[in-house]
Amino acid sequence: MAQEKVYASPEVALGDVFEGAVILASGFAGCGVPGRLIRGLAASGVGGLTCIFSHDLGPGGAADSDGGIAQLVVNGQVRKLISPLPFTPGKGGVVEGRWQAGELEIEVVPLGILAERLRAGGAGLGGVFLSTGVGTRFEGGREKRSFPQGEALLELPLKADFALIKAAAADTLGSVVYSGTERNWAPVMAMSARVTIAEADRIVEPGELDPEAIITPGIFVNRVVSSA
Amino acid sequence: MPEKLDELTMARRVAAELKPGQVVALGAGLPGRVAEVMPSLPPGIAPVQFLAESGALGYEKLGESHRSSSGAWVDSGGGPVALSRGGSVVSLVDLAGMLRGGHVDVAVIQPSRVSSSGDFISWTTAVTPGIFAPGAAVDLAAGAQRVVALLPHIGSDGARSLVADSSPLADGRNCVNLIVTDLAVLQVTEQGLVLSELAPGWRADDVAALTGAPLAVGSDVKEITCAPVNSVPSPMGKIYPDGRSAIRDLPNGAAVMIDGFGGPGGMAHYLLVTLRDLGTRELTIISNTAGIARSVNFGTPPGRLAIDHSILIDNGQVARAIATYPVSPSASRPSSFELAYRRGEVELELVPQGTLAERLRAGGAGIAAFYTPTGVGTLIAEGKETRTIEGKEYLLEEGLQADFCLIRGYQADTLGNVVYRGTSRNFNAVMAPAARVTVVEVDEILAPGDLDPELIVTPGIYVDRIVKRPEGFSPYE
Repeated sequence: MAQEKVYASPEVALGDVFEGAVILASGFAGCGVPGRLIRGLAASGVGGLTCIFSHDLGPGGAADSDGGIAQLVVNGQVRKLISPLPFTPGKGGVVEGRWQAGELEIEVVPLGILAERLRAGGAGLGGVFLSTGVGTRFEGGREKRSFPQGEALLELPLKADFALIKAAAADTLGSVVYSGTERNWAPVMAMSARVTIAEADRIVEPGELDPEAIITPGIFVNRVVSSA
Repeated sequence: MPEKLDELTMARRVAAELKPGQVVALGAGLPGRVAEVMPSLPPGIAPVQFLAESGALGYEKLGESHRSSSGAWVDSGGGPVALSRGGSVVSLVDLAGMLRGGHVDVAVIQPSRVSSSGDFISWTTAVTPGIFAPGAAVDLAAGAQRVVALLPHIGSDGARSLVADSSPLADGRNCVNLIVTDLAVLQVTEQGLVLSELAPGWRADDVAALTGAPLAVGSDVKEITCAPVNSVPSPMGKIYPDGRSAIRDLPNGAAVMIDGFGGPGGMAHYLLVTLRDLGTRELTIISNTAGIARSVNFGTPPGRLAIDHSILIDNGQVARAIATYPVSPSASRPSSFELAYRRGEVELELVPQGTLAERLRAGGAGIAAFYTPTGVGTLIAEGKETRTIEGKEYLLEEGLQADFCLIRGYQADTLGNVVYRGTSRNFNAVMAPAARVTVVEVDEILAPGDLDPELIVTPGIYVDRIVKRPEGFSPYE
C-alpha cells in the first residue's frame, strides 16, 4: 500500500498534469525549489498553465535560476503567473520580456496575502478578512469591512490542481520534513492542492522520521519522487 | 558636496535603533545588511532576533563566499545566513501570521519612495512601472509595531526618494515611522518629515534641496551617530521563579486561554493551581473542554481528583466559558461547569472544536474574521452572518484573543522556544500567539541552541514567561 505513493520518476508522477492546470511550486529566492519536478514539467510540454510561485531573487534573477519556474515561461507553457515578486525588476529576463510583450499574464499578490489565501483554500475556509493592504493599491475592488481591530479586506481562497514541493526527506506514507528555510511555501502549498507531489532528498520507511519533527503529514502528500 | 554614507554605515545607524529582546524583520535589499553590522550583546542580555521573509528567525548573516545554489538557510534577499543559538524556522504561512498578528517589533524595509505621511512605494514598483511587486514589504509594513525605511536619499533612477504624496500608488499607508538615508535621519510625524540627524559635513539646506517633501528641521539636529540609542538591558528575562510570580498580574475579569484537550495531558496544571490560589475572579476561560477530567476517569488514580478547570469553577472564579465540550459525557457524573451553568452562575459560548482552533489562529495571526462551513444549518449558526461563496454556504466567525494564555510545554529554552510531547501539543501551539501574555509551564528549561531548531513548534516570540513545573508535582490532588 504504502509504496504506492513513491513514483519512479518525475515524468510518471506528473503524468496526469493537464492543459490549463493550476500549479503551485515551492521555493523562496532559489531555496527549496523542486527543480527536478519543474524540469520534468518543462520536458512534458504541457501548456496553458497557471503557476503560483514565490519570487526568485537567486543570482541573476528568476529567468536564469536553475530549476525556477522561468524555464516553463521560456517554453511558453505558462499562461498566467501569480506571485508576490514575479521577477527581479529590470533583471527579469524572459519573464519580464513575455509580460512586456503581453504574452504572459501576471497577478501580483503580496506574500502574506498569498500565503493566507492558500491556507484558506487548504483549510476549507470560504474567505478571510485581512488588514494587510488596507489603504493601498491592493485594495482594488475587494470588499472592505470594519472590525473592532480596524478595517480589513476580504480575501478569497486559492486552490490548485497540483503542488510541487521540495522536501529534505519523505517517508513512503508521504510524511515530510524540510531543511532550514527550504520549508518556506511547501507546508501551505501541500494543503491546498488536489494532488501534492513531494521531491525528496531522502525517501525512508514509515517510522524512520521523528514523529515530532514531521511538518507536513502524509495525508497532504499524494506522490513522492527522489530529487536525485 | 560631502561624501554620502556608505551602506554599512547606514545599516549601523539602523542597528543602533534596536533594543535588546526585539524581534526585527529585515526586508530584501539594504535592510539585509543590518544583520551584518549588529553588534553582539553581552551574555545575559536578550539578543535582537532577526526575522527574514524566508522564514529564518534568529540568524546571523554570512559572507557571500558562503552562497551556494541550493543553500538551506537564506535571508530575505536569498543571501546565506546561519542560525544564531535559539534561532528557528517558520513556514511562510506562519511568517505571514507572525507579521500580521503584530508579533514583530520593528520592520526594516527598502522602499523606493516614502511620503511625508509615512506611505511607501516598494523599490521594485518604481523600477518596473506597471507591475506591482512588493514581495513581503506590504506584510512587513502592515504588521510591525514600528517601521524603519532604509534607502538612498536619491534613488538609482536619479529621482528624490522622499516625496510629499505617494497616492494613489502606495504599497503601504501611514506606516513608516523613521527614515534612514545616506544623508540624514528623519522622523515621520503628524506634521510631516522632521530632520533629526545629518551625515558628516552635510547641511540641512542641502538635504532639504534633495528632498521632495517639506522638511522641518528639528531643534537639536546632530551628526549621525551609530552608538546604540538605548543600551539599557532588557528589564527581566522570561524565566520566572514560580507560578505566582508569573501570573500575579493576571487581573480580575481577564480572558484566559487554558490549553488541554480533555484528559490530563497537555494542561498547565501547576499554573491552574496557582491561579486558584491567587483567587482571581470574574474570569472568562477559553479552552477545549471547560473541565471534564475531574468528573471523568481518564486514568485518574483511585481516591485522587484530576486537576483541571473545575478547580477554578468550584472556587467561584469563572464568570464565562468559551468552550467546545463544556459538559461531562456522563449524565450521572456532571462536571463542575455543568453544575454551575445549571445554577445560573456561569455563561457559556459554545464553539465547535475546529472553529475554536481556527478562531484562535485568526486571533494570533491578525485575521479579523473568516468564513467557515462548520456549523452551517445548526444551532451554532444562530445570530451569525451566513454567506454563499461559490455555491457553498459559510458562517462568519471572528478571531479570538485573550489577556493571558497558560500553556503546557515539555521543554523551553530561555528565549521561550517550546517543544511539546505527543498529543499534549493540542491547543498549545495555536493558543500561544493569541494572547497578550503567554505563560508556559515546562518540565525543563534549556539554554538557547539546546533545542533542535527544526523541532521547535512554538517560537519564543510567542512566549512571554516561562515557569518550571516543580519536581514531583502531580496533576492529581
